[in-house]
Amino acid sequence: MSELSVNHLLGIKDLSRSDIELIFNTADQFKDVINRPIKKVPSLRDITIVNLFFENSTRTRLSFELAEKRLSADTLNFSASSSSVKKGETLIDTVNNILSMKVDMVVMRHPNPGAAEFLSRNVDSTIINAGDGAHEHPTQALLDAYSIREKHKNLEGKKVVIVGDILHSRVALSNIFCLQKLGAEVQVCGPTTLIPKYIKGLGVAVSHSLEESLAWCDVANMLRVQHERQELQYFPSIREYSQQYGITMNHLERLDKEITIMHPGPINRGVEISSEVADSDYSIILNQVENGVAIRMAVLYLLASKNKMNFKD
Amino acid sequence: MESTNILIKKAKIVDPNSPFNQQVVDVWISNDQIVKIGKNLKVKADEIIDLKNIHLSPGWFDLRANFCDPGHEEREDLESGIHAAIFGGFTAVALSPDTYPSINGKAQIEYVYQKAEDFPVNVLPMGNISKNLEGKELSEMYDMFQAGAVGFSEAKNSLNNAALLKLALLYGKEFAPAPHIFCNESNLAKNGQMHEGVTSTTLGLKGIPALAEEISLLRNLHLAKYCECPLHIMGVASKEAVKILKQAQKDKITHSADVAWCNLLFTDKTTQNYDANYKVLPPLRSESDRKALVKAVINGHIKAITSDHSPVDIENKLCEFEQAQFGMIGLEAMFGALGLLREEGLTLEKIIECISINPRNILNLPVASISEGSWAELTLFDPDLEWAFEKEHIQSKSKNTPLIGQKLKGRALGIINKGMLVLMPT
Repeated sequence: MSELSVNHLLGIKDLSRSDIELIFNTADQFKDVINRPIKKVPSLRDITIVNLFFENSTRTRLSFELAEKRLSADTLNFSASSSSVKKGETLIDTVNNILSMKVDMVVMRHPNPGAAEFLSRNVDSTIINAGDGAHEHPTQALLDAYSIREKHKNLEGKKVVIVGDILHSRVALSNIFCLQKLGAEVQVCGPTTLIPKYIKGLGVAVSHSLEESLAWCDVANMLRVQHERQELQYFPSIREYSQQYGITMNHLERLDKEITIMHPGPINRGVEISSEVADSDYSIILNQVENGVAIRMAVLYLLASKNKMNFKD
Repeated sequence: MESTNILIKKAKIVDPNSPFNQQVVDVWISNDQIVKIGKNLKVKADEIIDLKNIHLSPGWFDLRANFCDPGHEEREDLESGIHAAIFGGFTAVALSPDTYPSINGKAQIEYVYQKAEDFPVNVLPMGNISKNLEGKELSEMYDMFQAGAVGFSEAKNSLNNAALLKLALLYGKEFAPAPHIFCNESNLAKNGQMHEGVTSTTLGLKGIPALAEEISLLRNLHLAKYCECPLHIMGVASKEAVKILKQAQKDKITHSADVAWCNLLFTDKTTQNYDANYKVLPPLRSESDRKALVKAVINGHIKAITSDHSPVDIENKLCEFEQAQFGMIGLEAMFGALGLLREEGLTLEKIIECISINPRNILNLPVASISEGSWAELTLFDPDLEWAFEKEHIQSKSKNTPLIGQKLKGRALGIINKGMLVLMPT
């Protein structure tokens, strides 16, 4: 039986192409499961998973929780607002306290880049990164690539543009790594102020024209404008942003091909994406959400197998 | 420790100001003075030092260390800092003023002198340029200078207020050495965690662009030129900054500059797995920056190498990278680490100039040369000794260094200062 090369899911950076393909093939099976009348399998029975969220999240947390429940794991939710973090407890202490209560896996979202990697080196548990600052959001990238694969069969040679706030986006970074590992060509597009100066060093092309990017690509992944991460005003107004980088039906109808539109959610209708586009057949936004559960089930299952949790005597 | 009559046998002298430079000689020290130097001295000494491959240079001087006392004695205090200095071979250390409270007046200067009085290391406090390091108004520089402040700096705070730096330059001109200024435009560097480059982009960490250093450096040099005052630049870290310094020399702007040893050794790649021990200010930049810094030391555009000894307790290092504090300790291992750069063309003689003679010149302090009649402030060392740096070598209360377990080249064997001799077991 094949297994993952890693013991944690900290970032796409650490995964091999065959890891990603293994996750996809496993997700295929779980996608069947969640579309059956009985959506639950006993794979992770008797395994306890904590969802540690030091930053607000609704959909990622729900998606993980659902994935855990579909696998019959016991789940525990912890969010920063009600935590002891504000009382000055260290991350290591917080997690070790939880682990002492016989918790097997940790799904963590944290505002600081590298927090998941740091934790994996300092506590004895399996860590799944559910987003660490502007670093990585590996399950999002996996579900994005999986959704492209579902629509286009193969990612090899596909052209994908990521549009928006690249500077503050963990989704962009994980997507870049994941798509490149699967053989896709990646471009980033957005206002000059929101494109990191050294992004080309990651092997991506840079564009500042939405029209040109859409004409070039097979898939456009429209990122949400992350006001909460911006300590400066990177563009003068939402109005100006959407004039330049908001996708509308007009854009799509002018193309001589049909492209796929994605969005990691939550969408700001009328800002980076118009309602017509979001609700159109171009969009696979809701497929992404559905696939998110299957992908997270696959990740949890494969890591539990790798760490021999679900093969108890 | 007290030993007033010492004979050092067969020591190789490394001191460009000594008539015995590069010669292997015996040195006789009595009552705090070098009495006689020559071959096969026949004198009666209380202590005879006869060690393999022993070298002798003017006592090493660290231009910037933070002993966190008062304020953060859990990280370091004057006594533990002094022991770190002794282990590293330093006879003198200039203290950064960013203690808590910061070194603001005569009382704090006197506190440092009193507490360090009985130790064989000269601990020399620097004073604040602005009151409480707030960057608003000048501190009582003259009063502090009279009390023994060896110079003035704003620690690693950017003096954003150009008018205040102008005043500091002009006001101190008549009595103080060139102020030490850290160049880092704080708006550009805001929230930055490491050098801005491909590595910071890959790690999702906010970068500190080299531009922040360069813009600030240019501004500060222009101010120095306008005021016709000398300036000392702390912690040069980028290739472009080196270029700017070279141009400033051509333009006859009087300045000197130092670099922290870690910026000569490491690059931003070291932070790849978020090891906060490499989180320092100025940040470790790219390999081309590092090479330019080594070259600038070799060519004399950077005059001093400092330990930039910055103790940080484990609670503030073993945490998320963004939460970790900046800093690395350096006193104990600096000389051995610099020895690794000898294969890049940094000679032993240049290292000794940069950690002994030039730092004193920068602060307008007298330099003891190894000659008969001179006062004895000496470092004894073996530049070729290869050894592994281990945790037990660290005298500092904080252990924030990535060097633990690393092979180093060169080690201090002891110091002689204030009539005291300390020999290190090796």
